[in-house]
Amino acid sequence: MSPMALRSLNLPGVGTKYEFETDKGDTVAIFFTKTGTIQMYTLQKGCHTPSAAEMTPVEARRLGNILTGAIIEADQESVEIAFSALADLRITIHSYIIPRAIAGKTIEDLRIRAKTGTTVIAISRNDKNIINPPPSFVFETGDAVLVIGESDQLRLFEREIMVD
Amino acid sequence: MEGIIIALFVCLVLALVAKYLTIPAIPFYIIAGVVLGHAGLGIVASDQISSFFSDMGLIFLLFFVGLGLKVDKISENQSEVLTSGMIDLNVNMIIGFVAAYLLGFSLVEALIVAAAFYSSSTAMTVTSLIENRKLMMRESETIIWLMVFEDLVLIIVLAILSAGNENLLLFAGEILFGLALIYALAHYGKEFLISILDRDDELPIIFTFVAVVATAAFALELGVPDTLMVIALGAAFATTDPDAFEQHARPFKDVFMVIFFVFFGITINLSGNISVGVIAIICLLAIASKLISGVLTGIALYGSAKSGLEIWTNTIGRGEFSIALAVLYGSPPVAATIAVMVIVTSLVGSFVAKYYGSLSRGFGRRSRHHGPPHRVHAVH
Repeated sequence: MSPMALRSLNLPGVGTKYEFETDKGDTVAIFFTKTGTIQMYTLQKGCHTPSAAEMTPVEARRLGNILTGAIIEADQESVEIAFSALADLRITIHSYIIPRAIAGKTIEDLRIRAKTGTTVIAISRNDKNIINPPPSFVFETGDAVLVIGESDQLRLFEREIMVD
Repeated sequence: MEGIIIALFVCLVLALVAKYLTIPAIPFYIIAGVVLGHAGLGIVASDQISSFFSDMGLIFLLFFVGLGLKVDKISENQSEVLTSGMIDLNVNMIIGFVAAYLLGFSLVEALIVAAAFYSSSTAMTVTSLIENRKLMMRESETIIWLMVFEDLVLIIVLAILSAGNENLLLFAGEILFGLALIYALAHYGKEFLISILDRDDELPIIFTFVAVVATAAFALELGVPDTLMVIALGAAFATTDPDAFEQHARPFKDVFMVIFFVFFGITINLSGNISVGVIAIICLLAIASKLISGVLTGIALYGSAKSGLEIWTNTIGRGEFSIALAVLYGSPPVAATIAVMVIVTSLVGSFVAKYYGSLSRGFGRRSRHHGPPHRVHAVH
């Protein structure tokens, strides 16, 4: 089977159209309209009336995440990504809220990487994001932190660090 | 000044209602104008300020037409675009012109009525395709390119009408000079334009406004029609970053266009020597002739009259360009005729487009076996 042919097309005044036919003969068409919404049409082989869904950009991204295999677990704050090129490496990114028990300590004090193997990749404090915090970063109560690691390591993080 | 505020406030309320009912707002703006103005209650009259804002509305509308014309990306399916465009042009121009002439308009008036009669509203068509979830239909692409074709014809019509009785050679020379200047500025100033547009302060929006307004003023100074020069400016800017320009010009266009529509309604004079019968015939023909051109296009491109009906349902509404022609070149009877035609066709068009789907499904079920030939896999 040849890879699917993705047709993209600029429609003046309307927006951009992407369309492809699946191996099974169904057709999927996506329109990024100038009004800012995204419309997705699917046409089952043998039918001639497509069904359509209109999405906001946020909804479209959510759909895109699902389709690319970034499985969103029941807990909304965790995303697991599987990399097929890296022998099915499964990496999870999880967000946590810093409890009072560890407020005032630094990443270094808590020895997060040594103890759990996870890495704190970002912190959100008062609607400001800090990406790649240094080891000397001091946590405050209520900070939202993003931690990356394998799911076992994250369980360790929850047991060892969050209750410290 | 209070007049504009009253008119805008009424339009705001009507726009809310129209959006809620998902029907086009343009006919309501015109109706509001007719009710508030000369032909109705006489609460609001046009003055210098309102006509300045109306001019801005027209200029920004035409600037947008220009931005939409990217010469390098004319459809891959040129013969299809040409076929549908020529059918649409010939059928509607001829029916519109002959009808208007026979109904007592002068030759020039009939030409203006015909051009307004021919030009479907791009805004309404696009909105209709998006809101009724019709974008995937194969006919949609045809319809979208048909709108581009109509815009190109409109530019030619504008050029012909604005030439009037002037010395054609001199006139063409002046236009070419203006065009060359605009394109040279856009070409050699491309880096500068993009650096301005990339800023995230207020400069891009100020620049866009000044560029459009200054071009119009410069055109008047030079003695060439500002309408054509503003379209050319849009087309020239489209070679840099059309999306950014659209984004910066949209607020001006949206507000000024409302003033343009409502004050068009306000200046309408329905008591002149124009009979209701004439207007009614034009309106009915306006709906019928797009049906004829739509079905002919459907048969020519897809071998299917049903495809033609799809094209028809989305192109019935006349709108912004018809009114622009009426404002620029229409005598009072022509303007009144076009006003009513826009109101009737846009309302009929939006209802037909919305309910055609359910109608045709009922129709299709009954006549599937002796209907027009479908594509091979077009079976439920």
